[in-house]
Amino acid sequence: MLDFFDVFLVQQLLNGLAQGLVYALIAIGFTLIFGVLNVVNFAHGEIYMLGAFAGLLAIQLLAPPAFAVLLLVAAAGLVLGVLLERVAFRPFRRFNDEASLKSKALREATLLSSLAISIITRELMQLYVGADMQSIPQAYLLMTPIQLGPLSIASGQVLIFVTALLMFLLLQWLLFRTRLGLSIRAVSNNRLGALHVGINVNHIIIATFAIGSLMGAVSGIVVGLYSGNIFPQMGFSPGIKAFVAMVMGGLDSIPGAVISAIVLGLCEALSTDFVSQGWSELISYGLLLITLLYFPRGLFGKKVERV
Amino acid sequence: MSAASQYHKALIIAAFSSLSLSAFAAPVAIGYQAPLTGEYAQYGNQFRNAANLALDEYNQTHKAAPVVIKFADSKGDALEGVSIAHKFSDDNSIVGVIGDFSSTVSIAAGKVYAETHLAQLSQTASHPDFVKISPWQFRNIITEAFEGPYNARWISQNKIKKVAVISIQNDWGQTASKNFAKSFKDAGGEITALESFNPGTRDFRAILTKVARTHPDAIYLALMYEDGAALLQQKLQLGFNVPVYGSSSMYEKKLIQLAGPAAEGVKISTTFTASSKEPNVQAFVKAYEARYHVEPSMFAGQAYDATRIMLNAIAKAGGEKASREAVRNALAATKDFPGVTGNTTFDPVTREPAKNLSRLQIHNGDFTSVAN
Repeated sequence: MLDFFDVFLVQQLLNGLAQGLVYALIAIGFTLIFGVLNVVNFAHGEIYMLGAFAGLLAIQLLAPPAFAVLLLVAAAGLVLGVLLERVAFRPFRRFNDEASLKSKALREATLLSSLAISIITRELMQLYVGADMQSIPQAYLLMTPIQLGPLSIASGQVLIFVTALLMFLLLQWLLFRTRLGLSIRAVSNNRLGALHVGINVNHIIIATFAIGSLMGAVSGIVVGLYSGNIFPQMGFSPGIKAFVAMVMGGLDSIPGAVISAIVLGLCEALSTDFVSQGWSELISYGLLLITLLYFPRGLFGKKVERV
Repeated sequence: MSAASQYHKALIIAAFSSLSLSAFAAPVAIGYQAPLTGEYAQYGNQFRNAANLALDEYNQTHKAAPVVIKFADSKGDALEGVSIAHKFSDDNSIVGVIGDFSSTVSIAAGKVYAETHLAQLSQTASHPDFVKISPWQFRNIITEAFEGPYNARWISQNKIKKVAVISIQNDWGQTASKNFAKSFKDAGGEITALESFNPGTRDFRAILTKVARTHPDAIYLALMYEDGAALLQQKLQLGFNVPVYGSSSMYEKKLIQLAGPAAEGVKISTTFTASSKEPNVQAFVKAYEARYHVEPSMFAGQAYDATRIMLNAIAKAGGEKASREAVRNALAATKDFPGVTGNTTFDPVTREPAKNLSRLQIHNGDFTSVAN
């Protein structure tokens, strides 16, 4: 047992932290949108995938500096978020009376419509670009090793860490220090009340989608370049893990989702070390099950009954 | 029955058989069943192209006793395959059958050939049960049970004692890694880790770190080229510098495109490479391209060799006088047959093929042949 406490274990913890941050990147946008609409946006994983493809397209056509790629992808994410809201969510928000807002049927319809958009987008991408992995120009890959003694960190891991930290801090600043953030929190807290005090709920929801999808798309290209994988199915598996992190974190707590995502990543890496990689998913879902059984409102959720 | 009447009967049979040979000397035929239409038509048509090429080459040198090939379209359907098998069995000119494409259709048809005693040689059916149907089934494609041990011997010949195995968690990956690990241990080597990953995994750093802890001298990969590309890149980033050997499933140009410099030095064994420097492969590729205007794939190579092995067996079994049984026995005696997919030997008991695979190493962004 003692020989497990060596440099490889530290490396394994680093791997797990990086993997957890990947989940966290996706979970942040996921949770933001859930907080406002109370509906899971299943198309978030596809925004992530489209962000990666937008970045790849920019790299292939323009070969811009890496920073410009991120800006272009952010812009693409913004547009995609607005589009997604228009196509999958707006049609189910025609009524603002209390009964419609609390209607489970409407919420389920919205959830299914985002799932449908997700499947259609993924299949269309497979049809047009093919299901196989895209080649990424070597110069853009975020795989340059950074040697710290016997440990090796990839440049992408540093970027993922910085991106996740920036996203998290910016979002906290936006939510708690700006007027837009105040409105988002108001809509999230009580949509009818927000409407009554004169907040343009539609605009706020669109803005939330734009911000959340921007983050999703940027995560897509960063993770794509870091793992060397860009393909139409890429959003699915990390999307599920981010969903698990969001549920464990209590559905509407962004810090909770981030912490849960990191815990998931660490558990996966360590379970690979102590058991085998085949078991790591079992451990993630086991954690989810335990959370749901013993902490039904998540580890960091508000102590209020959800309608 | 008296001895005299037996003698008469034998005389009559002899007379008839000599009559059928001289007066009705129809050319002997090979039955070729393959999916020429339907979902797998692209494979069937490659088989037909390659078989016709091999046949024309044979008939040019055997003008006295030419052979014909009768093609039948199985549409990739097992029922269709069975009715073709009945048709071929009833056709007295057919002394041997090649096909079908998939193991499913080959096995369904094979059960008929086992009854009617007609030799069947599949160019691609790799299911373990296929050659177990009867002594009349042969195949020209190697299976995991051959490739794993072959690679294990290759690695031990290179004086590597400790190997870690990483494979994909599915039927194929498990068979491939177990076959490899068993033979490597039998050859006196040590397996430091036997790891598998769930299909869909994209981050291999955790597995690589775990494997690195066991200090192997080399890694053996039994996975698809896309997983391989991601794994190789992450391995390079982690600074885990050990030689890599891979299963033939990684033999794909896309591997190099995806992994770039991370793929350098990876060693893979495979049966057919169109870029091989072997003169017979070059001649085949040139002739195939001249006739069909496309580079032959591994499938075309398999069919070309299967046809030539069958023609060779017919020639050895007496050419135009060949009987079905003689053809089967000649097939079973195939030894070191020089083909474009390697030299082929059929095991006389199991009828599984053995080939000397070509060894490749990725060097300067291309697959190049290496001796060891």
